[in-house]
Amino acid sequence: MNVEISGVTRRFGRNLAVAGVDVETGPGVFGLLGPNGAGKTTLLRMMATVITPSAGTLRLLGRDPGSCGPRREIRRRLGYLPQNLGYYPGFTVEEFVQYFALLKEMPPARIPAAVAAAVERVDLGGKARAKLRSLSGGMLRRAGIAQAIVNEPGLLLLDEPTAGLDPEQRVAFRDLLRDLGQRATVVVSTHLVEDVAAACTEVALMDAGKIVFHGTPAELTARGEGAAAGDAPLERGYSAVLAESRS
Amino acid sequence: MTAAGIPLRTGRATARRMACLAAAGRLLRLEFKRNAVPYVLPLLAAVFFFNTVRTADGFPPVWTLRASVITDHMLFEFSAFAGGLAAWVGSREGRRKTIDLVAATPRAAWARLSVTLAGTLSWLLLAFLAGVAVLYIQTALQATWGGPPLWPVFVGTAAVIVVAMIGFTCGVFFPGRFTAPLVATGALVLYQTGLRQALGVTASSGTHALLSPASAQSSVDTGVYHHVAPDLSITQVMFMGGIAVALFGVLSLAPELRQLASSGGRTLLRAALAGADGRLLRAVAVILVACGVAASWTAFALAGTAKPDAAGGWEIPALHSAASDRPVPAISACRSSSGFGVCVHPAFGFYLNDLAAALGPVAAEIAGLPGAPAGAKEVASVNGGQDVQSGISVNPPVFEFTAEHVGSMFGQFYGSQRDPVGWREGFQQGLLDAFLTGRPPHAGPVPILLGPAQQAVEDALLTAVGSQPLSAGVTSAGVSAAAQRFATLSAGARRAWLAAHLAALRAGKITPAQIP
Repeated sequence: MNVEISGVTRRFGRNLAVAGVDVETGPGVFGLLGPNGAGKTTLLRMMATVITPSAGTLRLLGRDPGSCGPRREIRRRLGYLPQNLGYYPGFTVEEFVQYFALLKEMPPARIPAAVAAAVERVDLGGKARAKLRSLSGGMLRRAGIAQAIVNEPGLLLLDEPTAGLDPEQRVAFRDLLRDLGQRATVVVSTHLVEDVAAACTEVALMDAGKIVFHGTPAELTARGEGAAAGDAPLERGYSAVLAESRS
Repeated sequence: MTAAGIPLRTGRATARRMACLAAAGRLLRLEFKRNAVPYVLPLLAAVFFFNTVRTADGFPPVWTLRASVITDHMLFEFSAFAGGLAAWVGSREGRRKTIDLVAATPRAAWARLSVTLAGTLSWLLLAFLAGVAVLYIQTALQATWGGPPLWPVFVGTAAVIVVAMIGFTCGVFFPGRFTAPLVATGALVLYQTGLRQALGVTASSGTHALLSPASAQSSVDTGVYHHVAPDLSITQVMFMGGIAVALFGVLSLAPELRQLASSGGRTLLRAALAGADGRLLRAVAVILVACGVAASWTAFALAGTAKPDAAGGWEIPALHSAASDRPVPAISACRSSSGFGVCVHPAFGFYLNDLAAALGPVAAEIAGLPGAPAGAKEVASVNGGQDVQSGISVNPPVFEFTAEHVGSMFGQFYGSQRDPVGWREGFQQGLLDAFLTGRPPHAGPVPILLGPAQQAVEDALLTAVGSQPLSAGVTSAGVSAAAQRFATLSAGARRAWLAAHLAALRAGKITPAQIP
């Protein structure tokens, strides 16, 4: 198992953002669904070792991120795209990805080829030398994905990765997700159920800091058979589970 | 472990270190290439030209004097720019919201911030040293003696580093778009008021304000006749270096302190520190902070023991070397005009010809009279910690003056017009003052002014050599009338009268009405 989360809780002052989450997952694409404020981003930030849990245990890539040495090992094999992607406008796409490759302690000799490959995989090869300030929102998102995958991570955490992508890019991105999921654990937090339906092998639904559903997209779809609201089968499953958990 | 295993492990460790260095080098290259400093360099260059270069141009081409511009003027613009730019770069992760992104990478935050800081410092120091090079090359082309002093460069470099460290640390801990302008303004205010100005440096107020990098250039010939003791510079570098080292240590805790701040201080410090980049780094950081604080505290204590030295500067007994008190060996530059020899320190050789031309005619007017000088010689402007007043020595009678008289022609005129006539007449008046009062050179307070008859004779002699008396228009009608009468006499008649009445004139027993 690449991700083993047991009873993880995270508080921000009096606010309980994540309340006793248990998740285990291996290679494949893991979709994390949930309404705004459900705790998806906080859970992802804990998995990214950016913040520590208030309680519970977390094992990532078979290691405990609470200790310095293992945490460093995890981070070497981690790819992370935060919800609000920050970037340095003066850097080019190539430099931005190279910067993160260096921060991820990749062997310097491997970096140029890895950067070029990552940039090509997100279809930004033609813009590799363009400054980030000159890119559109969708292109920036793709540059963010490129920095996340440059080290061929064992654990890839993507928070709203398809926000700002046009339909063609989203289709291409789902192909990329499926490809990455062959070798790594990819955790995708999203509002867009069609992304989950198309690319995820496993899905969890969070609400009020808790996981209220964990299964396959087909199982979630099955939960919506009946009168739940939604235009797509998975949306109906999503609505049905949420309604059930809140009742 | 096998014998072959040891070299294999050593080889791997070396390869890992080399890879780490190569990665750091690439990161540094990126930070250097995409740094904010180059965008501001044209503005910095313009301010440097108008504030520093123009001020230096107004100083005589004497190395220590020109070098004082580094700490007194150049740091003014560099402290503001260095502080502001470093704060801007330091606040980058917060402003650009990349904190989460970089926090998820294995490279220690300290290492990452150090490379960013190094990229910025490289630009700032390159700009600073380029500015120093401009000043020193210009001085080298004009100076007649000596070489470039290095301590002002060390002090200036330390000041740029410490201001950049303060700015960078402020940027890291308080990221925001207003951090940089606030730091730049703060640096300007701090420099402008200055510790020296704010606290004053007197026996009663203490001497801690000497830690301010603004120099204590006391006279135009500082470092010419006597060495400038490096005591104060050493203390200043130690003080600023200590602050910089301590702040560098504090930077290592940036992510944890940020986390502590974001949790509203409710998270225990221990819990926050648990997320730090490892015990070794934490230990190094604590050692750096401790060493930095110790160095600064030691420098602060040393500055409190400073006392004035004989050459008009400051010495710190614990650091003072007796070698600094020895006079600087130099062979005077001399020139004779109408038989009147004038000698100056070779550092002031640039005004020797003008000086000889100015003093020659006046010396000729009084030549052969009792106590009239046979020559003139420049001496140090400070002796035993007191200002030296010009006068005529006995056996042999020589007019001794100081380089402070460089004054309005080559001196610190701060933007006013050069005044060669006033400069020449000032020297002539100085010689006649000493002759008519019979005053020997001495260290101490400014002597009493001339009496009315002495003033009238001096004005007449100045008029006779074609100069305009400096006291014209401010003396009484009686003095002016006497001066006019005496000036119309022939040179022989003036000399004969002076030969007969010089002793009485010096004693103040002659009135203007008695002057023919």
